[in-house]
Amino acid sequence: MSWVQATLLAQGLCKAWGGICRATLTGTSISQVARQLPRGLHCSAATHSSETSLVPTPTEPQQSRTKALVPYENMFGQAPNGKRDKASFLQAVQKFGEHSVRKRGHVDFIYLALRKMREYGVERDLAVYNQLLDIFPKEVFRPRNFIQQIFIHYPRQQECGVAVLEQMENNGVMPNKETEFLLIQIFGRKSHPMLKFLRLKRWFPRFMNINPFPVPRDLSQDPVELATFALRRIEPDLSARVTIYQTPSSKDSTDAADPTQPHIVGIQSPDQQAALARHNPTRPIFVEGPFSLWLRNKCVYYHILRADLLPPEEREVEEIPEEWNLYYPMWLDLDYARHGWDDYEFDIDEVEEGPVFAMCIAGAHDQATLARWIQYLQETNPALAQIPVVFRLAGPTGELQTSAGLEEPPPPEDHEEEDSNLQRQREGQS
Amino acid sequence: MYSRLGEITSMDGSISVTLAAHQAIGLKGIILAGTEEQKAKYLPKLASGEHIAAFCLTEPASGSDAASIQSRARLSEDRKHYILNGSKVWITNGGLANIFTVFAKTEVVDYDGSLKDKITAFIVERDFGGVTNGKPEDKLGIRGSNTCEVHFEDTKVPVENVLGVVGGGFKVAMDILNSGRFSMGSAITGMLKRLIEMAAEYACTRKQFNKRLSEFGLIQEKLALMAQKAYAIESMTYLTAGMLDQPGFPDCSIEAAMVKVFSSEAAWQCVNEALQIFGGLSYMRDYPYERILRDTRILLIFEGTNEILRMYIALTGLQYAGRIITARIHELKRATVTTVMETVGRKLWDFTGRTVDMELTGKLGVIHPSLEDSATKLEENTYYFGRTVETLLLRFGKTIGEEQLVLKRVANILINLYGMTAVLSRASRSIRIGLRNHDHEALLASTFCTEAYFQNLFSLTQLDKYAPENTDEQIKKMSQQILEKRTYICAHPLDRTY
Repeated sequence: MSWVQATLLAQGLCKAWGGICRATLTGTSISQVARQLPRGLHCSAATHSSETSLVPTPTEPQQSRTKALVPYENMFGQAPNGKRDKASFLQAVQKFGEHSVRKRGHVDFIYLALRKMREYGVERDLAVYNQLLDIFPKEVFRPRNFIQQIFIHYPRQQECGVAVLEQMENNGVMPNKETEFLLIQIFGRKSHPMLKFLRLKRWFPRFMNINPFPVPRDLSQDPVELATFALRRIEPDLSARVTIYQTPSSKDSTDAADPTQPHIVGIQSPDQQAALARHNPTRPIFVEGPFSLWLRNKCVYYHILRADLLPPEEREVEEIPEEWNLYYPMWLDLDYARHGWDDYEFDIDEVEEGPVFAMCIAGAHDQATLARWIQYLQETNPALAQIPVVFRLAGPTGELQTSAGLEEPPPPEDHEEEDSNLQRQREGQS
Repeated sequence: MYSRLGEITSMDGSISVTLAAHQAIGLKGIILAGTEEQKAKYLPKLASGEHIAAFCLTEPASGSDAASIQSRARLSEDRKHYILNGSKVWITNGGLANIFTVFAKTEVVDYDGSLKDKITAFIVERDFGGVTNGKPEDKLGIRGSNTCEVHFEDTKVPVENVLGVVGGGFKVAMDILNSGRFSMGSAITGMLKRLIEMAAEYACTRKQFNKRLSEFGLIQEKLALMAQKAYAIESMTYLTAGMLDQPGFPDCSIEAAMVKVFSSEAAWQCVNEALQIFGGLSYMRDYPYERILRDTRILLIFEGTNEILRMYIALTGLQYAGRIITARIHELKRATVTTVMETVGRKLWDFTGRTVDMELTGKLGVIHPSLEDSATKLEENTYYFGRTVETLLLRFGKTIGEEQLVLKRVANILINLYGMTAVLSRASRSIRIGLRNHDHEALLASTFCTEAYFQNLFSLTQLDKYAPENTDEQIKKMSQQILEKRTYICAHPLDRTY
């Protein structure tokens, strides 16, 4: 460091010390004081780190901090009719600009604005980010000689710029030419925010499509539609049919039996139907659940209807009838099987599981709703009537609810018996 | 833009053919060779659809051979009109059109003073009188489009309606046909994509022998083939479209011809395979599948038959190459010691299997590293093709135009090379910018390149002199014997001599 720089540093430190003393005495914000430091010295200290004041008085910085934040908070709090949306956000930003030409404390303001964006619902709006970047004074932070280029010129401001871009990245907002122009105007071409911008421009297009199963941004909030989407997502077979058995809105308002019936949406593919028809009625099938599926920030719970794997002795060997194919023999009458070196069937990662017959997403996770689901399923799978169904439901703590053992098969369309069955189930549970 | 439209209009073959006949060839003449007055007079109505255009070149005696047309146009006494006489056959939109681009022979005074018959292009309106058309033809496919004969009897065509120069009709016709050709690629792409969807849907739902059709290997092969061909056609079409969009008027006639040949043949093959997947359903008139087959068959024939276009591709390419390597050929012909040593040295070099490096791969390469093998194959093919072309020109010289079997192989190699280039560049770009399913594209690209590579190798070996794979001599002999008797000459298997 040359002697010029050393003298400047010394002068700066004196001024900073004086400023802080002044701040503790008069209670003005330290960030406002820091503005008065000479510009050539790029130790823009204490714009953001009021905590690291040279004077170790714990209470004073807090006072000054709250006092500094109060006017900004007010700006955000004074929405015309309390509505928090893009217009009021931009209004608040504008007010800051009108506050003073000097734009004191703009870094603090920008951090606060970034925090408030989510409340106002504008975190995915590129125009708002551009407005935020517009708050920075232009042409001030650009490095003018090679020394300024080597060291990070105005590090706090550059960090702030990087923080804005980082929030853009976290919310998946792609910056545009206006952002680039703003950044060049504010920070220059070789600055850290510009570097981050270039990285965003390079990687965002490449990462746009890497998710093979993307969830759309605006997911509908309607539970039935959400359930349909989720079920389609779980089930890869395109010929599976989603059936909405029950919708939450009851058509008949005078229906006292089920004033708020939960929705039941089920999915079953023709393969699963066939497997259920083939299922041995002496073996029970289980309703398991609820399992959680996260779609962005919503969690849906689904239940599955499955059976255990048959032990190898009971597995039926597929008999290929002799006269099956008119044209070519379906199997050759040879004694030897596939050669060991050509046998690729075994895969260590493949675990054979029992068949899953159907899945559903229901509004409530209790046995009554799921019993209704089974009844609805019986319409398309008549074999279900003979098969015993065991409900293995996990409660909110994840433990298995102690339900009754083997259930009698739910009887077809008999309301009294159904009620008594349900009562028995409830008694069994409690 | 045009290509995207083409993909959409290909929903129905008849519609796309009618539209193409109207704008790709019917009014292209006015756009390419018309004067400002002609454009101002005719184009607004044609663009809005009030008038429909048709392209009249084919006559009963001259299909591919355009120079032998018999229609005549002679200048009237007051030198203000041409009197047009003749009949044209198989004119799409013939019954609907108001504006015809007609080609007829006129007497022209040549630059050395002799009278010659040269083709001239005219814009003829139906209102000029004397234009009649026959009944719509009963076709195998594209039955929705109107194709009929058009007769001109003493039609008066004003002198202002000559397109281009009197006697310059041949060039006008060539320009029109060359530019209208590549729209076929995009139409076929759209059709193939829809076909793949339908076939895959069917294969996944139909069960035979307790298994879905989609689980059988042969069906999977068909679908994979269709996907590969569709991808290749798409890439080639959009590459050509991109080249045409460059500023200036780039001459992409060879590329357009290659697109047409490849896409029409691939379409025929893929539609056949798709119909195989549908099985018996494909044969029933109640389903749309057989209609697609019939509509596709015409693609190999119109807009220049595939054989003619192969000759065009090969000959134009050889003309261009021949000019450049004239010096080298003369050198080789003189057969000095140095050239002999060079040739022998090069053959030894190839023998030892050194790889060719044309900078497609590697540090400065433009191809994405995951497609390196395919790029190496392309480079190898190109290099050996260049060498083969030199040998061919040395062997045949000017007379190569008569060796159609050789030219066919050259054209096939060229089409494959163009396809490989298009496919590799598109796959490379997709991976680089991260489009969806780019790994699938890379797979399609590499498989296509492998197949094309081996086909090219086979063609190249066939082009060698005295190659055992080359059956040209036998083919010529066989066909000569058949054509002598004009029938199948073998004795019946049940004939006896004892």
